[in-house]
Amino acid sequence: MSGRHVPAVTGLRAEGQLGRITLDWTPAPWDFVVDHYAVYGAPDAADVAVDPSTLLTKTVYPRFVHRGLGGRGANWTYRVLTVDAAGARSRASAPLTASSQESVTATGAALAVVGEYDGTGLEFALSPGGYAQYPATFPDGVDFRHGTDNAGLAWSYLHPGPADAWAGRRPHVFRLRFDLAAAPAGQVWLALWLIDSHATIPGSAVLTVNGATVERLTFEGGATRGSTVGDSTLPGSPLRPSYVERPLPAGLLVAGENLLTVTKDDGSWIAYDAIGLFAR
Amino acid sequence: MTERRLSRRTFLQLSGVSSAALALGVSAPEALAAAADVEVPDGVFGLGVASGDPASDGVVLWTRLAPQPLAPDGHGGMPARPVPVRYEVAADEGFRQIVRRGAAVASPELSHSVHPQVNGLEPGREYFYRFIVGRQMSPVGRTKTLPGAEQTAAGFRFATASCQAWYHGHFTAYRHLAAEELDAVFFLGDYIYEYGITAANLWRAGASVTPEHAVEIQTLEQFRLRYALFKSDPHLQAAHAAAPWMVTWDDHEVQNNYGADGSRYGVSPEHFVHLRAVAYRAFYENLPVSLAVLPAGPDSTVHRRFDAGGLARFHVLDTRQYRDRPPVDVDDQYADERTLLGPDQEAWLYVGLVESNATWNVIANGVTVAAITEDRTDQWDGYPANRARLLAAMRRSSNPVVLTGDIHKHVAAELKADFADPASPTVGVELICTSIASDGDGAPTDAYTPDWVRHPYVKLYDGRRGYVHVTLTPDEMTSHFKIVPWIEADADAPLETVATFVTPAGAPGLERLA
Repeated sequence: MSGRHVPAVTGLRAEGQLGRITLDWTPAPWDFVVDHYAVYGAPDAADVAVDPSTLLTKTVYPRFVHRGLGGRGANWTYRVLTVDAAGARSRASAPLTASSQESVTATGAALAVVGEYDGTGLEFALSPGGYAQYPATFPDGVDFRHGTDNAGLAWSYLHPGPADAWAGRRPHVFRLRFDLAAAPAGQVWLALWLIDSHATIPGSAVLTVNGATVERLTFEGGATRGSTVGDSTLPGSPLRPSYVERPLPAGLLVAGENLLTVTKDDGSWIAYDAIGLFAR
Repeated sequence: MTERRLSRRTFLQLSGVSSAALALGVSAPEALAAAADVEVPDGVFGLGVASGDPASDGVVLWTRLAPQPLAPDGHGGMPARPVPVRYEVAADEGFRQIVRRGAAVASPELSHSVHPQVNGLEPGREYFYRFIVGRQMSPVGRTKTLPGAEQTAAGFRFATASCQAWYHGHFTAYRHLAAEELDAVFFLGDYIYEYGITAANLWRAGASVTPEHAVEIQTLEQFRLRYALFKSDPHLQAAHAAAPWMVTWDDHEVQNNYGADGSRYGVSPEHFVHLRAVAYRAFYENLPVSLAVLPAGPDSTVHRRFDAGGLARFHVLDTRQYRDRPPVDVDDQYADERTLLGPDQEAWLYVGLVESNATWNVIANGVTVAAITEDRTDQWDGYPANRARLLAAMRRSSNPVVLTGDIHKHVAAELKADFADPASPTVGVELICTSIASDGDGAPTDAYTPDWVRHPYVKLYDGRRGYVHVTLTPDEMTSHFKIVPWIEADADAPLETVATFVTPAGAPGLERLA
């Protein structure tokens, strides 16, 4: 190759989160021209072979967010190396092992769910790019009856906010109605997964259950691509999924009909992967 | 041949020049290059030849060796070792009068691109050049030096082009541009696009791409591959081989609507500079620009100036690297200190405009200067205080003209001292060229037309593909807005002129002839 020493990656560290593991490392100094960093990974193993079959990504950033790990706690081991502008490769970093957090969607019992927690929003109405039809299709937001309505027709893939001119620059309410035979005994959790959100103004939404304001949900910035792209699981997908999971205060749900509302009264849109309540 | 291939170390020892000088691909000892064992795969000139950044006594030549331009690793099918490249510059197309010979080293660090700087040429005249690698000879390129300070140039003819989304259609406009006899071409940004190329946006009939093109580009190898894909078009290669180019960038050479270290897609500034570094690197590698443009880390100096004798001074701007972030509200938008060019480039430009002795002062810039709508904050509309400073400097300069790209429409506009007051003086004119390919066939009018033509100072709007042809003389500027009626189906569309304007020297404005 070029005969020049290619510096190995230093400072590699990992943080496990819901559905993903984030790796960070120290970037090479600017006087060294990097083509990319290559990240190799293997699940449930103490080490990973550096070969094309284990290549997870090539990135120019000193960070890799290993997304799409699902709701079960995933255990991965990584090595990272540097490729320079001439195509020469450094030696690989030492292996680093990390685990993602478990989701209530994997450990809990579903009470009412719309969509599938699978990294795509393709099962929803207007997906993947029909937001221009939202105002005519959902003039009063979403009012969805679990067990009766079809998500492909009655739950919009995109939930606009007051920053969205195409949706009238106003808040939008999404309602989920569901019946329970009995009030759940255990703790009830909200699991709201997004395939993407607006990058700079994802904003927040107010969550209510049976008329009681539970809390304001603040969203992570995404990639502003979920308005036209529906599948975050494809290789090279530009989407940035995020996850909101939290326990709800006790005693909110009742036997018979229940009503959950999400009111996007701040910022721009979010793009749904799935929304639901779980008991655990 | 039994000799081993020339290693970098051996090459450097033999040449006696520094690693840095050689690695930049600008010059190398010619004798060594000629003697070297340069076995390389056939078809190394697959990306064509180019020239650019002309001066009155020289020009930058360019090629990038790529026998397999679309090799996924971005190295064009070249072996990972330095390769000497010779070049010849002749006064005639048949190369009977060779006036300069030289060599440069194509290294894998720069994806085997070379940027030899040729000096000692005569002003205002045509030259021909070619490259030689081993037994392979490149196509011949035509270039031209700028008029000298002592010369009274009778005229200077150039074309402006921008926005070449390869996947949206054929580069028919370049087929026609290459047939014009031009002194220069100004490229005004969006030479590549970073988006993934999929069935949804691949409108170029007959074209197909392999899966590595389907993702948004981010690594250096991906940027190199993207340049190679776009440059594989024969009409773009012909346009490069026809005249020297002066190139600037807009946003898509890095990422849509970025500014300075700010991404619109959630990449932190701390990380975004790493994308900028590889994107700027690939820009240098793939364009006929001088060594001054070679980036250092995430920074590159692209604003530069060219003097065409006493006839014209060309100020090439960088309207991306130094701009303030998008405004957070209207007060922020109109803040006095807000800048699109950055303080240093602003000072450089205003001094260069005011102190210029040229008849015409031509500013090559990425985004629309004329006031169109308040919400077009990616254009100069987002930086009204900076625009006022620019217009003030233009008023103090001789015959200012702005060349712009970005919007995929032909627009001709008069630039007013105060856009809010239609009776205020016209300071200069802005010639906005439509795209070469971006947005496909297009149509004469579209949904955006009303935003533009409601202004009395906007004199033309056309939403089809094409380029602008400009002739400068000491007395007047003539601008022809040229279009091709279609680009998606094939590259056969004829050329049409939709409007011609004359701007008399000393009387800024657009007089429509046709």
